Parts: sequence; C-alpha cells; structure tokens
Amino acid sequence: MSAYLARPVRRALLLTSLPVYVLLYAPLTLIAIFSFAPAPGATQPGWHWYADLLHAPDVLAAFRRSLTLAFGSSILGTILGTLMGFGLSRFRSRARSGFAAALPSLIIYTPIIMPSLVFGISELIFFNLMHKATGLFAAGLLTMGIAHVTFQAPYVALVVFARMSGLDPNLFEASHDLYADGRQSFLHLTIPVIRPAIIGGFLLAFTLSIDDFTISYFTAGPGSTTLPIYIYSAIARKGISPDINALATLMIASVIGIGLLQYAFNRQKERRPMPRTGD
Amino acid sequence: MSAIAEHPAAKGSAERTERAARAWRLWITAGPGLFWIILFLILPSLILLGIGFFSIGNYGNPHLPLTLEPFREVAGYSILGWSPGNIEVILRSLVQAISAAGLTILLAYPVVFFIVAQPPALRPLLLLFVILPSWTNQVVRTYAWMELLGPDSALSHLAQAAGFIPAHLGLMPGILAMQIGLTYNYLPYMVVPLYAAAEKLDWSLVEAGRDLYASGARLFWSAVFPQTIPGLLSGIILVAIPAFGDYVVPTLLGGGKSMMIGALIASQFLQTPNWPYGAALTIFMLIFTCGGLIVFRVMSRRLGSSEGSMI
Amino acid sequence: MKIPPRSARKLTLAASMIAAALGGLMAMAPPAQAAGKTLYLFNWQDYIGKGLIKKYEAHCGCKVVQTYYDSNSALAAKLKAGGDSQFDVVVPSSYYVPQLIHEGLIAKLNKAEIPNFRNLAAQFKNPTYDPHDDYSMPYQWGTTGIGYLKTKIASLPESWAVLFDPKLNPDYPFALMGGSGRDTMGAACAYLGYGFTCNKKSQWIKAAKLIEKTEKRKNFTGFVDGDPAMGQIKKGTIAIGMTFNGDVAECYDDKSCLNSGYLLPKQGTEIWVDTMAIPKHAPDPKLGYDFINFILSAKAGAELSNFNLYGSPNAAAGPMLSKELKTPLIKPTSAQMKYLHFLPPLAGTKLQTFNAIWTAVRQH
Repeated sequence: MSAYLARPVRRALLLTSLPVYVLLYAPLTLIAIFSFAPAPGATQPGWHWYADLLHAPDVLAAFRRSLTLAFGSSILGTILGTLMGFGLSRFRSRARSGFAAALPSLIIYTPIIMPSLVFGISELIFFNLMHKATGLFAAGLLTMGIAHVTFQAPYVALVVFARMSGLDPNLFEASHDLYADGRQSFLHLTIPVIRPAIIGGFLLAFTLSIDDFTISYFTAGPGSTTLPIYIYSAIARKGISPDINALATLMIASVIGIGLLQYAFNRQKERRPMPRTGD
Repeated sequence: MSAIAEHPAAKGSAERTERAARAWRLWITAGPGLFWIILFLILPSLILLGIGFFSIGNYGNPHLPLTLEPFREVAGYSILGWSPGNIEVILRSLVQAISAAGLTILLAYPVVFFIVAQPPALRPLLLLFVILPSWTNQVVRTYAWMELLGPDSALSHLAQAAGFIPAHLGLMPGILAMQIGLTYNYLPYMVVPLYAAAEKLDWSLVEAGRDLYASGARLFWSAVFPQTIPGLLSGIILVAIPAFGDYVVPTLLGGGKSMMIGALIASQFLQTPNWPYGAALTIFMLIFTCGGLIVFRVMSRRLGSSEGSMI
Repeated sequence: MKIPPRSARKLTLAASMIAAALGGLMAMAPPAQAAGKTLYLFNWQDYIGKGLIKKYEAHCGCKVVQTYYDSNSALAAKLKAGGDSQFDVVVPSSYYVPQLIHEGLIAKLNKAEIPNFRNLAAQFKNPTYDPHDDYSMPYQWGTTGIGYLKTKIASLPESWAVLFDPKLNPDYPFALMGGSGRDTMGAACAYLGYGFTCNKKSQWIKAAKLIEKTEKRKNFTGFVDGDPAMGQIKKGTIAIGMTFNGDVAECYDDKSCLNSGYLLPKQGTEIWVDTMAIPKHAPDPKLGYDFINFILSAKAGAELSNFNLYGSPNAAAGPMLSKELKTPLIKPTSAQMKYLHFLPPLAGTKLQTFNAIWTAVRQH
C-alpha cells in the first residue's frame, strides 16, 4: 500500500504529522517537568510535591472515592448493559418495524449522545426534586453512582451487541435441539462466548466512570469529592501550582502505563492460539 | 416434533406462543436496563425541559404559573433591556465548535495518512500514541494548556510581540486559548473515525487514476478523499457536538469573559440560580445538537455508509 | 436435573456479582451514623488549621470530617440538594445568612449551649444581618479590597477608579469579583457616588451599566472569586483584582507575594463576617454546638486566627493573637473603619431583582 504513495508525499506526511504528535504530548510533558519544581524557599528541584501528595488526606480520600464509585457503578452497569445487549440482539423480532421497534435503540443511544452538561443538570434537578419530595436521594456517592450506571449501561450494551452480532445463530438452534432451556443456554453458551465483550464492557464502564468530570460534578454531594472534582476545585482556587502538577503527572503516567500494558497484552494474546470456548 | 404440532392451526398458535415467549424474554433481559435509563435519564430530561416553561421563584426555584419568560431571556431580554449578549454566546459557541472541527480535520488528515502509510505492524502503536492523551482526564488536559498560555509564558510573549494580543495580556484567558483547548481535547475523536475509513481505502481507484495520468492533488481529491467522507462525517459529529456544549474548556481557559453556552447554562444552576432560564438555554442547546445529529444521519444515509453493528 | 459443578460455579459467580453490585451501590449510599461520634464540617478551604482540628478531636473524643465549598452560592446549592441533613456546622458569610434563614436551611440556635458567646467583642454581637444572634455565631471577619501587583503598577489611588477608570489602567489585565455579585455591584455603586451599600433598583441598574462598559475593555479578563484572584495576582495572570485581606496576609506570611499590595477604596468597601451555623436537620446538633463553643473559646479563637490570618471577633483571644493580626491590613484603623460597611441583607423579591440584574450583567 505504501507503494501507492510516492517518496515526496511520504516525506511531506512525516513532516506534517510529527508536529501533531509533538503537540499532543508537549503540554503533558510540561506538566511533568514543572511537577519537579523546588519546594517553596528551596532551590533544588525534587520529589517534594509527590511526597506531599502521599500525606494529603484529601487527595487519598478523593482517590479512594473515585475507585469505590467506579467499581460499584461498573458492576451494575455491566450487568444491565450485558442483559440489554444480549436481549436486544437475540429476542427482538425482526418482523416489526416502525417506532415500537426503534424505541429501544433510541433509549439506549440517549445517554451516549446527550451532552454531559445536559445529562449532569438533568440529574441535578431530578435528585433535587426527589430529595425534596421523598427525603431520599441526597446528593452524594449514591446519586453519582446512579448517574454513572446510566451512562455506562449503553456502552456495555453496544459492546455486547456487537459481539453477539458476530455469532452464528445456529449455535442457539443447536443448544435448543439439545433440550437446553433459556437459562441453561444463557449460562453455558452465551456467557462463555461473549465473555470477552463482558470484560471489555466492564473495563470500558470503569474507565468512563473514573474519568468522568462533568456529570460527577453536578451530581456530587458534599463529602463525595472524586479525583477529577478535586483537581478541578484545586485549579479553580489556586490556578497553576506544582502540587496539582504532581497529581496530574501521576494521573497521566498511570493512563499511559495502562494503555501501553493493554497494547502489549493484546499483542501477546494474538500470538497465542485461541482458547476453546465451552466445556 | 409430534403430528399435533404439524397441524396448521396448532402451528399458528405455536408461533404465537413462540412470539409471546420471545417478547417475554426481551422484557426480562433488556427491560431492567431500559427501565433504568428511562427513569434516571429520560424522565429527568423531560422534567428539565418542562422547567423551561416555569416562572422563577425567589431563590431561582421554578414554580407556576407557566410562562414563556425564560425564552424571552434566552433571546436577550433582561431587566436591563435587550442586549445581544446571549446571541453572541450562542454564536460564539457555534463558531468555536465548527472551528474546532475544522482545525482537527486539518491536523488529522496528515496524521491518518502517515499512519496508513506505515507497515501494518507499526500502525496500531502509532494510532495508540494519538489516542493515549485522550484517555487522560479532560480537566488535566485543559490544565496543561493553562500552563502554556498564561500571560508570562513563552507563547504569550510571542503573541504579544507579533501583535496578536495587547502587551501584558496573556493568551489565556481568551477566545484563542479556548480554541486551542477544544482542538487539543477533541483531536483524537477526529483521528479515530478518519483512520477507520482510511484503513479500508480501496487503492485500486488511485492506481486507476494514476494510469490516467492524473496529478497528485487531483488523485487525492477525486480518488482518496471521497472514500474518507463517512469517517470525516463521524469525526465532525464526534468533535463539533461535544465542543459546542463543553463546560470545562470555556470555564478554565475562557476565564468568564467570553462565555460559551455550557458555562452560561452551568452558572444558572450553580452560581446565581435561575432554573427556568437555565432550562430554556438547555432546550436551545439540545435543538442545535439534535439538528446536527439529524443532518449527520441524513448525510450518512445519502452516502450509504453501513450501519452494521449499531443497535 | 442435577446441576453440574461448572454451572454451580457459574451460578455462584452470577449470584455473587449481583450481590456485589447491590453491595457496591449500597456502599455508596449515605452511611448510617458511624459508631463513635463524627462532626461533619462544611467550610471554606484553608480556613481552619489541621492542628486546631486535632485539638478539637482530642477535646470531643470524636472525628472531624471536613468538606469544602468555594462560594456562598455553592454552599446554598449544596444545602438545598440535601446537605442540610448531612452537615453539623456550616460557615456562611454574613450577607448570606438572611437568605439561608428565609429558605429554612439553618436552625435557630439555643444560646444556652454556647456559653463562650460572652467572649465575643461587643461590635460583633447582635448584628444587623442576624438580630440577637439567633441563627449564627461569628467565626472570622475581614475586608474586601483591591489587590494589585506592585511590579506592574507602581502607585494607585485608594479608589475604585483603579478598576473602573480606563485611564488609570489602560493595559494591564484585571478582573472583577464574580460569585453573587454583591461586592462588584457595591463597588460600582460606590464609584458612582451612591455608596457601597446602595439599595435601590435604579442605582443597581446604573451600576450594572458601568460594569457592562468595563467588561468591554480589552484588558478585562473576567470575573474571579476572591481567593483565586489573589492566586492570579501572585502568578501575574492579572495585575489588579478584588480580593480579601486575609488572602493577602497569608501570602505575605509564606512570602509568596511580597510584590503585591492591598488597598481599601475610600468611597466605601465591605467588611464582612463569616459565621458558623447549624443546618436545620443536622445529624448531630449537640456536637455542632460543642464545636461552635470550642471555636469561641479564647485559646481556640487565637489559634484559628493565627492560622488563617483573618480578624478575630473574639475579644478574649486578643492577647494571644500574633503581631501580623495587629497590622492595619487585618485590623483597619479607626479612620478606615469609617468607610467599611456590612452588605445590607437582601431577601425575597428584592434579592430576585438584584439577581436578575446581575445575571444580565454576566452574560457577555
């Protein structure tokens, strides 16, 4: 394929692409560099700000809350999403057309295409009114968790649906012929086969939750500061400062590290032969 | 299967029970998730839209009677008379979104074709390097540009010297800073769909063009570019729509001087509460967003892109 | 049919996942009050030292969990969203107290539970924003004024003209205070001659028009709250802004803003008191009273002010205050006190009118 591109074209592509790569990483590198700024009053750069982070209870608490929220919501989001993806792929009658048939799709796509700001504000208003009316749903981790599940489930559903689309429908016929009822088919056939999609969906849900800022910001209650909210508040208060840089660098480094690890892991899997599904 | 089931009438009723069983199974699997979304997103959104028609209470709360007053406020009428401020905010947000899409297109095309020109083994890694920054948190990504664009930064001094901005001021906060922030944040969202389209490119068209002695630029525009259009459209939607309603970038880099619609809406709920007005603004934002999506669907149907594994 | 071992494992897996999901969701639900008392404090950031918190924890045998907000409107919004049943003590600014009372968010105080009330200096008792101290107790007090970078602008008159007169500052970036708008509108009113505590709609409208004109100047960078404004001045992002005297004192103290100055415009500016209040449905009001009483004690009051470098309303703490707190920055001279005013309380329709004007000013 590269034979189709002449040398000067390839060189031009390289020259114009390199600056883009630099542009993508320059700001992040700068944050990392400034995170080693010397402590106030000192002149030597060092790990001072990172050491401070380990002793900052607010940061650690925010980190813990981010993890709790992500785990809790991802589990429920994955369950709901997997069931949706499976059900819509398997049991929707293809004969029907029109609004009734398109309705589930519309519902599933709504959380995905809705701008996060509108999403967050809708939840803010809803939980506010619910709280006034019933006294439940006080703003906090619970309301954040509910909001997170709401945007995770559709993504998981899409992943599972895509995997199910690639399956041979005769598989289900075969299990039916073998007198397996619905539940047994689901447990013994479906779940093992779509397991990569379920795991992928869970990881996707987890990432979406950890990374979310806007929706969390509007549904957070007092005492439920997650890491992105903590950083945003610190920036809004202090502007640029080395301790924020240190925290940001840690977040960037972990994302890049996980990304590269996942890439290496996928390459490894491709080299091994596929494991047999089923028993 | 027994002879009873083969009987036509029995077959009809067997089919009906089969359909009923299917419907039941659909409800029991997809039902909980769909119900959850309806209860916790669709219903709240409808409430939000409804609030746009209420009057404002003493502390920003909505209450009856119903009125169109919030929409008059959106159009710019306020207690101080009419001001074009709101219209400016909406236009500014539109312009920012479209420019962000445009800039990302300019930056994405070379990168995409650069990656496509590499040996297949190298491509996933190069693509990963483009995507990785987008996995970092949006707040962190925007913060990075705050450092680079303050009044005492090198870039600001450069801009001052070149006369882009008055002396002593910084690029941040400002419109240009917002533009840079939006482009940076959403560049990977343009690269991915473009790359997906470019990877499936049918190069035989290019070869045919070359056989007909077409020049380089002509080759690109008539043989290569049209094939990337589905990816281009996806990218435009993935960039322009979130950029239009973005909240983080205008708040951190725009500095409250040049507001975008996201920050304006948020302040109606967080700072000086005015829920009906905020809801009315949100309705407008949704109108633009849905309009964009409809245009997208129409254009991609026109160009026959496959909707393969979409629910 | 006997369930083969593998399915049993899968069933247990499914069951445990569902249990985990429900458990996860419940873990995020608001916890029942922890065994052992906990004080839930909702405060501004950096407003109470860690040492003082530890002393209180030793005193009450409880744990203190502190959450932060950065503006009074954020406090009110969070209280309305359920915070009024999640916190024991909140710290609203004086001008916000009438609104919180009106909305039923804070509880009437039983002064019998706060014997240290007698420690307060006389001028802080029975204030106009809360007659008879029925709902709030003073926490710290301070002034709002103009912060500026001496390196960029050498000498400035003690006047709001610094912000509103283009001739005094044609080039350097500057900001006005955002938030609820009471300070900025007051400043505009004072500059126009109506006094900082202007209260009439016509005056507000003229002040709003002045602010709109100021927004159009090319070196205006936006609306910034008091604490971030000092941060921006330190960094040089802005050269002039509106900020609080304690913020300036803090950065003088840690030597991070030695080239900044602070001035109080003679046309009139704000003196404010941040107060402690107990939300209507606080989980442990008794603990809240205990905390308020503790803060009003002489030793705690002194330690509090020595940490955050704001003025102390606590007369009994006077002798133990550090020398920085005796400088005119924190303790304005009697001549300056003449043009320091409390913001008049606004509630009901008057507040609505003000908010409508301020919203109109903000959208550009």
